Amino acid sequence: MKGVLPALLAIAVAIPLAAAELRLPPFSRQVLPNGLTLEVMQRKGIPLVEIDIAVKGGVESDPADQPGLAEVTGELLRKGTTSRDSDEFSKDLDALGGTYRIRADAQSTLLQSEFLSKDFGAGLALIADAVLHATFPESEVKKLLAQQSDKAKATKDDPAEAIEPYAHAFFFGESHPYGRVMSEISIAHMNRDSIANYHKRMYSGRNLAIAVVGDIDAQNARAEVERAFDSAPAGEPYQWTEPIRLSRTPRARLLLVDKPAATQTYFFIAQPGIDAKSSDRVAVSLVNTLFGGRFTSMLNEELRVKSGLTYGARNIIDEDRLQGMNSISTFTKTDSTGEAVALSLQVLKDLNEHGLKADQLASAKAYEQGVTPREMLETPDQLAKLLLRLEMLGFGPDEVNTLFQRMDAVSIAEANTVARKYFETSGLTFIFIGDAKKIRAQVAKFAPEIKEIDISAPGFGGI
Amino acid sequence: MRLALLLALLWPGISLARIGDSVQTSTLKNGMKILVQEDHTVPAVALYFFYRVGSRDERPGITGISHFFEHMMFNGSQHFGPGEFDRQMEVHGGNNNAYTTKDVTVYTDWFPPDTLDLMMRMESDRMAHLVFQPKIVESERGVVYSERRLRVDNDNLGALSEEVEAAAIIAHPYHWPVVGWASDIEAWTMQDLETYYKQGYAPNNCIMVVTGDVRTDRVFQLAKQYFEAIPSHATFGEPRTVEPKQEGERVVRIRKEAELPLLMLAFHMPPTKSPEYPAIEVLETILATGESSRLYSRLVNHEQAALNAQVFDEPSLDPFLLSIVIEPRAGVAVDHVRTLVVSELEKIKASPVPETELRKAKNQWLAAHYRELKSNAGRANMLGTYEIFYGDYKKLYEEPAEVEKVTAADIQRVARQILTPENRTVGILIPQSKRTEEARK
Repeated sequence: MKGVLPALLAIAVAIPLAAAELRLPPFSRQVLPNGLTLEVMQRKGIPLVEIDIAVKGGVESDPADQPGLAEVTGELLRKGTTSRDSDEFSKDLDALGGTYRIRADAQSTLLQSEFLSKDFGAGLALIADAVLHATFPESEVKKLLAQQSDKAKATKDDPAEAIEPYAHAFFFGESHPYGRVMSEISIAHMNRDSIANYHKRMYSGRNLAIAVVGDIDAQNARAEVERAFDSAPAGEPYQWTEPIRLSRTPRARLLLVDKPAATQTYFFIAQPGIDAKSSDRVAVSLVNTLFGGRFTSMLNEELRVKSGLTYGARNIIDEDRLQGMNSISTFTKTDSTGEAVALSLQVLKDLNEHGLKADQLASAKAYEQGVTPREMLETPDQLAKLLLRLEMLGFGPDEVNTLFQRMDAVSIAEANTVARKYFETSGLTFIFIGDAKKIRAQVAKFAPEIKEIDISAPGFGGI
Repeated sequence: MRLALLLALLWPGISLARIGDSVQTSTLKNGMKILVQEDHTVPAVALYFFYRVGSRDERPGITGISHFFEHMMFNGSQHFGPGEFDRQMEVHGGNNNAYTTKDVTVYTDWFPPDTLDLMMRMESDRMAHLVFQPKIVESERGVVYSERRLRVDNDNLGALSEEVEAAAIIAHPYHWPVVGWASDIEAWTMQDLETYYKQGYAPNNCIMVVTGDVRTDRVFQLAKQYFEAIPSHATFGEPRTVEPKQEGERVVRIRKEAELPLLMLAFHMPPTKSPEYPAIEVLETILATGESSRLYSRLVNHEQAALNAQVFDEPSLDPFLLSIVIEPRAGVAVDHVRTLVVSELEKIKASPVPETELRKAKNQWLAAHYRELKSNAGRANMLGTYEIFYGDYKKLYEEPAEVEKVTAADIQRVARQILTPENRTVGILIPQSKRTEEARK
């Protein structure tokens, strides 16, 4: 692959005038008597329908000693209900050719499912059965916890995947909900009671939102969802965590995860970023497009295109309910670890000190306005996910409908202000996975002290 | 007639024939074929170029060069300097990617409708006039090596698959990995690159697919304007070597620093265009699609011996492999897992699949097939893939009928042909700890 990682000076490139408009297709939103929010959008075309359900809470609602509880509860929904055992559920789902995926993100547990339009009723009944009538049989709980525990260990066999939980645990720390990541240690604290209690507390009308998008009759779909979910108890609304302000550490911090015999080092360079509702979010995202978001970004240009140090380098801005990380992410061969880190820091310094030029900002706007329609609004699954994200974060349709106007309004002065504010060069947090014996000396200069752990040590360096 | 009824149910309001008919085709005088399907749902276009250039066309010493080319195609042509392709694209609201397989190299562009002219111009320039600069070749060599480290050296499944494929295919060019052997990545010369480009990148060796918010006549007009003058020429011939029949089980073991082992069973299977392919697809679905599938249900849910069970194949012009990949649970002996897999394979050979299970698998296959058609990108990829690997893009719309015809007897027949011990290569990744070894020394 050429690379999917998300450049630099747009030299002598004529920038087209932005005239694009972004609009959410029409949809209905209603709140059922039990507090459940239902959104339905009809999209004619391929005869498929996406049924997605979000449960408020997600990672931030995990008990401090049981990170991953939201996710595990979600995984167990299909493993036995009042009317189907685990095998029967799987057979019914597969017989419809349906898909079913569960994932807990920072603020919600998201169930994504898709069926042929003609099977909407049967698919909905199946999903409602899982969400409302899961019984959490003891034997299935034990089985799933054991599997999840092995999966957490298996993550470490793929350093490209493992770097993220290590980075979260080290950057946020155990006192922050985003710093508590699921591992075999946290799974050992879970049991049927904690799971069933979480389900009882969180899976109630006032914490649920459903989005149905696809080739269906909207009126019928609304009626069917109402019927399927009107038995859900209203319950108590989830109390969101109060905002937690991340402070920049006075000195650099560094975690080195030793993976002997690794031929490549994977690393993050993290600093405090924004929350999803930050008034700087549009400007930050445009700056990030240029810094590390697209293929021709400053980072990818220097680390991949010009120097061949890596297959890809990018910068990731978390946009969750609570303030998140702003992190450079890349990898390079063991011998060039120090060089790649130094070059990343140089690019960061260039952005912070020299800022951006007007033609670069215009290029970022043109890029984002070109790719957004197809990345956000093309398919039913994208649309359903978007509707629920807006719902979980408390946004209305204007978050989408005015996005391009808000992008156009970002001035070069504003862009450079956020570049200085969020892309700082001191107080950074470094996370490495690599062969410690060979890279220890290369990375020592980036922080006053190194915290080193063995990759085979249980957990991800936290709980 | 049962078939027609089924399809009408699946595509309410849309006849299957009409969807197939909505693709317009044209062939330029130089032999380049163009497929266009309009869809005005969002203001976006997918433009795909399928070159019949893959690792199948390489030879020892230059393995991986097709994939390296995929990278070099972004590094400058006569009228667009190094990096200009990406810069121009992104400043106009587009982005791109590319992928290389054993048989094809595919360039995938996504962009707003008013950028069509520019994209055609840039694609034509790199098809006809690629420029090689020694300095860029060297830096891109580093990028490709990093990709190899990412996907093979530091990825356990990548490392195991490479060994299993090389053990299963001993003679045909599918023997070597698409990314290339490490020593070849280090050794390609400018001469190798220039020769390979001249041979493979011809308009008659390429299919262009356009889907999305375009007007078909405009696409044909631009294609004529930018591509028709590029001369056609002879390209790679078909590989001469036919893979000899495997006469007994082969076993590969590799040791890697790892938390958990991996198990892979690979079987030779016919190419995509084989009339047996629809039955093989249903067989694969029965084995490992969904939690009620035979391997998943037995190994993951009931025996609790594995974390996952998957079956892979990929479109191929020549006979390649059906691969079963299992992630055994911690503390479960790999040999035990292997015995369980083999016992499931024996069952499917011994007795015909029940009608309800067959129906379930066909529904799963059909739903998955339609899912691929949801986006412009998905449709472009499927049209090009069917045109190349099935010999005609129309097969994309005819294959559901072929799958519907598959019977329990067909499943049993292909299972008996393919899933035999003699036809099998087993790969096992054994976790080892470098620390333990060092401590012993």
